[in-house]
Amino acid sequence: MESSSAKLKVLVFSTDKISDPAIDLAGLLKKHYPAGVYTISVPCSSAIKPRWIIHALQRGFDGVFIAADGTDCPYGELCVPNTANLVAATQIKMEKLGIAPQRLKMAAICSICAEPFVRYMNSFLHDLDTI
Amino acid sequence: MKKIVEQNQAGMDESLIDYDVLVIGGGIAGDEAALKLADVGYKILIVEKDLSIGGRMILLSKVFPTLDCSACITTPKVSETARHRNISIFTKTEVKSITRRQDNFFDITILKRTRYVLETLCTGCKECEDVCPILIPDEYQYNQVARKAVFIPFSIAQPRIANIDIDNCILCGLCEKKCPSDAIDFTLVDTYEHLVVKSVVLATGFRLFNPTVLSRYGYGRYKNVMTAMEMERQLAPTRPYNSVLRPKDGKMPDNIAYLLCVGSRDQTVGNPICSQICCMYSTKQAQLLLGALPMADVTVYYLHVRAFGKGFCEFYNQALSMGVNYIKAKVASVREKENGNLILRYEDFSTGQVEEQEHDLVVLATGILANAEIESVFKGEKLELDPYEFVRQKDMLTNPAITSISGVFAAGTVTGPMDIPDTILSAGAAAAEATAYLKKLS
Amino acid sequence: MKKRIGVYVCHCGGNISDVVNVSEVVTAVKDMEGVAIAKNTLFACSDAAQNEIVNDITSLHLDALVIASCSPKLHLHTFRAVAERAGLNSYNYVQVNIREQCSWAHSYEKVSATGKAIQLVKSGIERVIFSRAMEPFSIPAEQSVMVLGAGIGGMRSAISLANVGLQVYLLEREFFIGGRTAQWGDLSAAYENGPEVVSRLFKQIREHANIHLFIGAELISQSGNIGSFEVKVKIKPRRISGDCDESGFNQAISICPVEVPDDFNFGLTSRKAIYQHYPSEYPAIPAIDDANCNFCGACESLCKSIDLNQKEEILNLKVGNIIVNTGFDPYEPTRGEFGYNEIERVLTLPQFKRLVDISGAGKLNFKGKQIHTITYIFCVGSRQGEEGENQYCSRYCCTTALNTAIIVKRKFADITNIHCTRGIRTYGKQELIYEESSRQGDIFLEFSFENMPVVEERNGKVFVRIKDILTANREMEAETDLVVLITGMVPRRNNNIAQMLKIPTGRDHFFNEIHAKLRPVETVIDGVLIAGTCQGPKNIMETLNSSMAAAAKSAASLSSGTIHLEPIVADVNTDQCTGCGICLTVCPFDAIVTAGPEDKPAVSIVISRCKGCGMCLPVCPEDAIELYGFTNEEMEGMIDGLTSY
Repeated sequence: MESSSAKLKVLVFSTDKISDPAIDLAGLLKKHYPAGVYTISVPCSSAIKPRWIIHALQRGFDGVFIAADGTDCPYGELCVPNTANLVAATQIKMEKLGIAPQRLKMAAICSICAEPFVRYMNSFLHDLDTI
Repeated sequence: MKKIVEQNQAGMDESLIDYDVLVIGGGIAGDEAALKLADVGYKILIVEKDLSIGGRMILLSKVFPTLDCSACITTPKVSETARHRNISIFTKTEVKSITRRQDNFFDITILKRTRYVLETLCTGCKECEDVCPILIPDEYQYNQVARKAVFIPFSIAQPRIANIDIDNCILCGLCEKKCPSDAIDFTLVDTYEHLVVKSVVLATGFRLFNPTVLSRYGYGRYKNVMTAMEMERQLAPTRPYNSVLRPKDGKMPDNIAYLLCVGSRDQTVGNPICSQICCMYSTKQAQLLLGALPMADVTVYYLHVRAFGKGFCEFYNQALSMGVNYIKAKVASVREKENGNLILRYEDFSTGQVEEQEHDLVVLATGILANAEIESVFKGEKLELDPYEFVRQKDMLTNPAITSISGVFAAGTVTGPMDIPDTILSAGAAAAEATAYLKKLS
Repeated sequence: MKKRIGVYVCHCGGNISDVVNVSEVVTAVKDMEGVAIAKNTLFACSDAAQNEIVNDITSLHLDALVIASCSPKLHLHTFRAVAERAGLNSYNYVQVNIREQCSWAHSYEKVSATGKAIQLVKSGIERVIFSRAMEPFSIPAEQSVMVLGAGIGGMRSAISLANVGLQVYLLEREFFIGGRTAQWGDLSAAYENGPEVVSRLFKQIREHANIHLFIGAELISQSGNIGSFEVKVKIKPRRISGDCDESGFNQAISICPVEVPDDFNFGLTSRKAIYQHYPSEYPAIPAIDDANCNFCGACESLCKSIDLNQKEEILNLKVGNIIVNTGFDPYEPTRGEFGYNEIERVLTLPQFKRLVDISGAGKLNFKGKQIHTITYIFCVGSRQGEEGENQYCSRYCCTTALNTAIIVKRKFADITNIHCTRGIRTYGKQELIYEESSRQGDIFLEFSFENMPVVEERNGKVFVRIKDILTANREMEAETDLVVLITGMVPRRNNNIAQMLKIPTGRDHFFNEIHAKLRPVETVIDGVLIAGTCQGPKNIMETLNSSMAAAAKSAASLSSGTIHLEPIVADVNTDQCTGCGICLTVCPFDAIVTAGPEDKPAVSIVISRCKGCGMCLPVCPEDAIELYGFTNEEMEGMIDGLTSY
């Protein structure tokens, strides 16, 4: 049952304390998601530089997904607006470079959100496939 | 902690103290207690009668309810224990007596049994195993395969050094000649040693019920009736075969039955209590078997499924959704057919009828029993046991770690059946109480 | 740039190698630039493998290490220690997760999983190439711990901590200590009751010079790190300062015009706005509850120690660790769940326990009627199935229910107990309680999740209808005088501790430990520990064990007097920095300050305050800020590794 989305490559930026544990949990619970999903973990989702995202898209990733801390962030409430700001700033840069802004997506993933993570991956890959 | 020569209140010379704490038993409870105490700075001796520390847990396949591989959790803890600068470990060593000296110290006699191998020289290369001509059942694989008379117990043993099983050795000397580091020495002898310690942590664990006494289940008579621990070894990463096989003919089973409460909740064998872990380890094995043998059916015959701990109920639901068949039933007997298959006769609660069902493998979920030997080691003071011979907790409602003897603390299943998370917490409690006791002494 | 990298790919028994072709991974990376050696290993975490890695590092003069195995959350520290033993800086080690995030997540796609593992390992190698050696920061550890909650668990943690020489600040949100156990009456085997256990622990608390107990105290803010948390505590006014002769308090209570349901008795009785739960309660003086007091002043005139003008206090404390032991709430059935709140004769287990406790021996009466038949419905609010809110088993309720049934029969005349269960879970030695209740003639019926019992009231009589599994699904109905819903444990409502301390909760909504077996009392926030039933259902002994284990962990981490913190902090390239100050606005910890000469303004990082979150990185218009361990070189190197062929 190999669809074209199975060949897509997505880079997920996860966070050490919140969303990366959820992605681990997805594996632990054997909740499968496509193998084209790669994860790089950072301390906090508001630490991701636009240039890293653009670098990934230019190097061949079809999409970048930020598995954000949301309100669970151990570093405080500022995480939510700061992450939103960096996403908006990156999408403007992407447009200038001719990259569809839909290739960058963000959603809050809590530390046990294994199932939501898998759902997000499936729907993001599906969306990327239609771009 | 530096050893300071000073007279304390009891008039005991500190320089005579060998260790602050003697931990008896190097399983996961003993290791955890030792680590917590050593981290505070106390000098710890772990005495383990077996060849490796890590106890029962190091031999398991995966652990419920997360299906983490057991070795992945045990080996780092075991190696941290082995490396800690405040912890010394004697394996193949038994504590023979514990006697209180003055008020606050214990005289300890230990018997160090020799391996006939110089521990500092052995590199664990296994070349001795290759030349040894003797084959005997391997107890670390629950006798399902053979080992040599000179052997390393299992690949992740700690320490990973050879041992000579002198009862089965024919003294041919081949291993001695073969050993590249000249580590084998048949002139070595068992030795007694005397030590002085300030406190003792009991972490001697449990015994498994031997199901041969329940002849109606046919263990020992019918080859395809096995215990869950034997199955555990077949599922472990360091497994004897690379698959799950029937003991009788090496065929891959495809219709497996689990019988719960074997030797537990059973007055006729003198053990009325529940063993607390069998429901869950059976549920775990059932899930692993469905993974290892995708075509197989697994049926669990139970009275109650005790999925009580954190994540256990969810784990049980997961087994149900994977297709493990749970039948609420009282199993009356097992009999063997000519082809080695087994007929279970049971009363099915859902119909109220006596039914029969054929399986090609029967696994007995044997319960756990107290390991009461430790009681006799205490001289002059009575270590109180409960009616089931577990160490009695003197004050379960405000201090679960204390025993009837001051300065002696209990960790893990020495006080009753427990799963791994509870064992680790109990070991932490023993460490907390031993620390408090030692602080008070100083 | 690292030039002699050692790469180890772990089989993890078969957890990885059953899906990922490990030797293919080794082959794919062994010739990469900078890789000195690449190997596979059965268990990288085993002692033998660790020794082998140490030997390789020293004999081959490796300058960096990559291990591809399980999640770093499991073994990052294990392998950092391996590096250090071999004299390699632990920050020149990178762990690649090819188990949780590869073999387990893609177990049906062996080829793709192997391909992914190869890219992941390459990415780890690209990262380690740019890694730099760092030393952890050392800060002095406060020799004190704050314990939240003075139930039996919190008290037990406090005693154990104090006994090892630490200062303890024990905070209780309520005006009385003892938590749920104080409400619990006779405990199993009935040789002691809840208040007695509470007073035995409290006696030790009171006598210990190291324990500072604050009652009516709530945590309102927290900052800082393990080793030195700064916490602010609000102490609610009790409005009673000291002693008053006993009759004075009694008069004050009786004159109070405000009457409210008594939550200590779960609403079975009522109390005044000035109140005390039971005579031997601690502290042994009443309190005034602001939520209900109308400040009429009537009580003040009767007792000089009542002071309605008492103000709240704020306390600032500094502690090295925080142990959260805030307990549970009993599940509150919804209206109409088994007739609850609709049929008068339906009570919850906690209500029933209070009723048993406050009724005199002899006859058991409820609402003017003598009770003979009691029907217990088990698993109310627990094991709610795949779709339910609470899928978990509450662990303590079977034993407590049966024990209560035994006590009831012993204490009152003419009692018949009917238990409608979903399979009795009296695990371990608690099985004997099940045996005893069977022996005394209790009736056991069993229902399944698909066929829940029905409670009905007809003509003033209460009936329970059940399809009984134990008799081949026979449907039966029993008339009963009382229905007791065996309600489970749920996480505490009104608990803002989780948000304040950032403790994650699990699938069951209780606080979550890092690992049930490896780090059972630790949370992802270093220095914040959890114990007791805030972590999941437990009985008393299990609560005590975890509370003492948390104390042991705390003692072990603070005892050396020093805490080592991750050196992962932000770093400013002052050549590039223009001193615009945008980064100052996003830093949650005020860790960035303006510095530099007037003609060349720049910012700098206050290392002691920086927590390494990296929020300042993306906002810098000059890209002048880097985070150690997450530099552009490292991050882009990783991305290159993931996309290289």
